[in-house]
Amino acid sequence: MKKLCAVLLAVFIFLISCCSAFAAGINAAEQSVLSNMRSPANMNGHKIFVPTAYINQAEAHFNTIDMTQQQADKINALINAGRSFLEGTGKSNIKELSPSERRTLLSYASQAAAVLKLTAVAGSDETRIKITTKDGTIIVDESNNIIKTTGFSSLAVPIAAASFIFVVLILAAAGLISLKKRELENEEI
Amino acid sequence: MKKSKPNTRAQKRRKKFLKGLRRFLLMPVLTCLLLFVVVFGITTPFLSDFFSIGSMFLQDNESSYSRTYENIFSPSDNSGDTVDAEDVDYPSIDKQFGTLEIKNRGVDAKLFFGDGYVPLRNGVGVYAGSFIPGYGKTILVSGHNNTYFNGLKNVKTGDIVKIRTSYGNYEYQINKTRIADANDKSTYDLGANEENLVMYTCYPFDELGLTEQRFFVYADKISGPEIVGIYE
Repeated sequence: MKKLCAVLLAVFIFLISCCSAFAAGINAAEQSVLSNMRSPANMNGHKIFVPTAYINQAEAHFNTIDMTQQQADKINALINAGRSFLEGTGKSNIKELSPSERRTLLSYASQAAAVLKLTAVAGSDETRIKITTKDGTIIVDESNNIIKTTGFSSLAVPIAAASFIFVVLILAAAGLISLKKRELENEEI
Repeated sequence: MKKSKPNTRAQKRRKKFLKGLRRFLLMPVLTCLLLFVVVFGITTPFLSDFFSIGSMFLQDNESSYSRTYENIFSPSDNSGDTVDAEDVDYPSIDKQFGTLEIKNRGVDAKLFFGDGYVPLRNGVGVYAGSFIPGYGKTILVSGHNNTYFNGLKNVKTGDIVKIRTSYGNYEYQINKTRIADANDKSTYDLGANEENLVMYTCYPFDELGLTEQRFFVYADKISGPEIVGIYE
């Protein structure tokens, strides 16, 4: 009986620690991750911070999930490893990192995202990141600037101009062919 | 030195061909390009309003939307002081979670979380790196200058911005407008610990194509429920 109780208790504790419950708010585990994200990396005497926009987006996502302490511990370990890696490169800022160093840094982010069953993909310059859920829902998309282009479609004018020029070229080519044809007909006569 | 006249048949044909090329290809293309530049430059200031009106008609045509979105907004009557975090359905990106209105200024739009293609095509969007109303932090909202945020050109200091969400209704009072470069990071503070609403759109208004400047409108919260119990 004692063994059975012990097993049941173990299963109960395991389930409590692994399963997500209600998602509202930022729990202690999530707060520890946010707090860790706010700690700077010391790169050659320069303090490098995770951009506030990234931290805010993480906070927004944490409002929709309920992270367990185990998950938070794994993520914090990866954040710390990423920070140590940055500090060990001997570079002064992110822009100085080589492509392979950027990929290594991204792998820490990918592993941290994977803890929450998310996928992290780097932008073309490997300094920006996009994080999505398995079903493709976007959690973080820092592939664009914070301030967006909010004017008339930037493509409309070039497309209109290109179409206009294309039509003119077709008409001109048709005219030229017709002229040549007439010329040849005249020569034959 | 005199130019030698074309004497062979081949030379004559070549000259004719070049003349034809110049007459029927080069000149029309150059003329059209020149006309396009001149007409575009002269008519843009006069026609821009028509373009805007036209696009505003188009935006009401639901069938023109190429992508759909999820709507989690249902009107609430909560204009009280607080709302519990557990009662807030925190939106994910591309979801409509409210509406934004500035009365008598031509701004009345669906409010989305995220500011990508879907939100800005169907309304205005809260940048995902900022926060939702009631959170006590910065709310950075963008919209197109030729559609949903065209009316920002009419706003004045003291105007009231109404945001309705499923968890509460909010009012913000406009305290400042500003024209700034799109890359000017002093135009917003994503780390602010005080609720503030920042709305922006491309400037000049009714301009076709890319613009380097943005028109920013700043507002302070005057009413609406604060989300409590966020940090457990």
